[in-house]
Amino acid sequence: MTHSMTDDRLIELIEIWGADPASWPAAERAAGEALLRAHPERFAGVLAEARALDGLLGDLPEPEMPRGLTEAIIAAAPRARTAPRGGRQGWFGLKTPWAPASGFAAAALGLLMGLTVAPTASANDEMTAEVQELVVSALGFDTATYAVEDVE
Amino acid sequence: MAFTSDLDQITRAAAGDAAAVRALVNRYSPGVLALATRMLGDSAEAEDVTQETFIRAWKALPSWEPRAKFSTWLHRVALNLCYDRLRKRREVLPEELPDRADPSLGPQDTLDQIQRVKAVEAAIARLPERQSAALTLCALQGHSQTEAAEIMEVSVQALESLLARARRTLRAELLEGRTVS
Repeated sequence: MTHSMTDDRLIELIEIWGADPASWPAAERAAGEALLRAHPERFAGVLAEARALDGLLGDLPEPEMPRGLTEAIIAAAPRARTAPRGGRQGWFGLKTPWAPASGFAAAALGLLMGLTVAPTASANDEMTAEVQELVVSALGFDTATYAVEDVE
Repeated sequence: MAFTSDLDQITRAAAGDAAAVRALVNRYSPGVLALATRMLGDSAEAEDVTQETFIRAWKALPSWEPRAKFSTWLHRVALNLCYDRLRKRREVLPEELPDRADPSLGPQDTLDQIQRVKAVEAAIARLPERQSAALTLCALQGHSQTEAAEIMEVSVQALESLLARARRTLRAELLEGRTVS
């Protein structure tokens, strides 16, 4: 795409972007340079002023990075999560070993409760057939019988 | 560097890749610091702004969407932080604003290099903040017309207007009488 260039626009370019055509907008650079080459005398004054200002701006030193700033910025950066030793697999290759473990814990607690509570009840207490059946199916043995044997 | 490379580096940094994090910091922090230093004229504040800019970047990285170049986004964050600080200075301590212009540096003085640099820095710091930002981004940091306009969230025409006024002011202050050349 070619742009037509006028004297006024070229003066604007020089005043806004400086004397170096490399700093002019890319779309207008070629046309600006062509006009400048064709009529250098028309732009000599504005170019000289722009060069003087460019020189002053170009002399400004880059601020030095303060000691410790880079490390402080890096210290606040995201960190990679470290995988547990031996990889991400847990017990028996399960990613959530607590799931079956909680089941085992519940069963053990239930068993302990059964053993603890049953002896405190009298072997002579009446137990309905439905309750007895439920206990047997849950624990796999008859606590009433177990308690009687324990007492004997 | 190409945009895809930028994105790759950002993705790796977001995942906590230490090398990618360091590369982003090494690549962009000097520019952010330079922008903040020119805008604020105070190295300690510029350091704070640089750190805050990256803290915001680290928070944004996990959900980063490449709608804009990372560099553009980062400089925009830094610039807005500078604007905030300049506004607070004006609101809270207008009478205590440091006069960054050295009154001893009149147009008749002969200036050595250090004085000249100080005079230019002071003149830039005295510019209205948006002119100062436009000049810093374009003339000092070499951002393209489009990049600078995107960072400042203004049109290209508005950017040119800001630049024209900034350079006109600097010419009048620094080149009047050709005492500084």
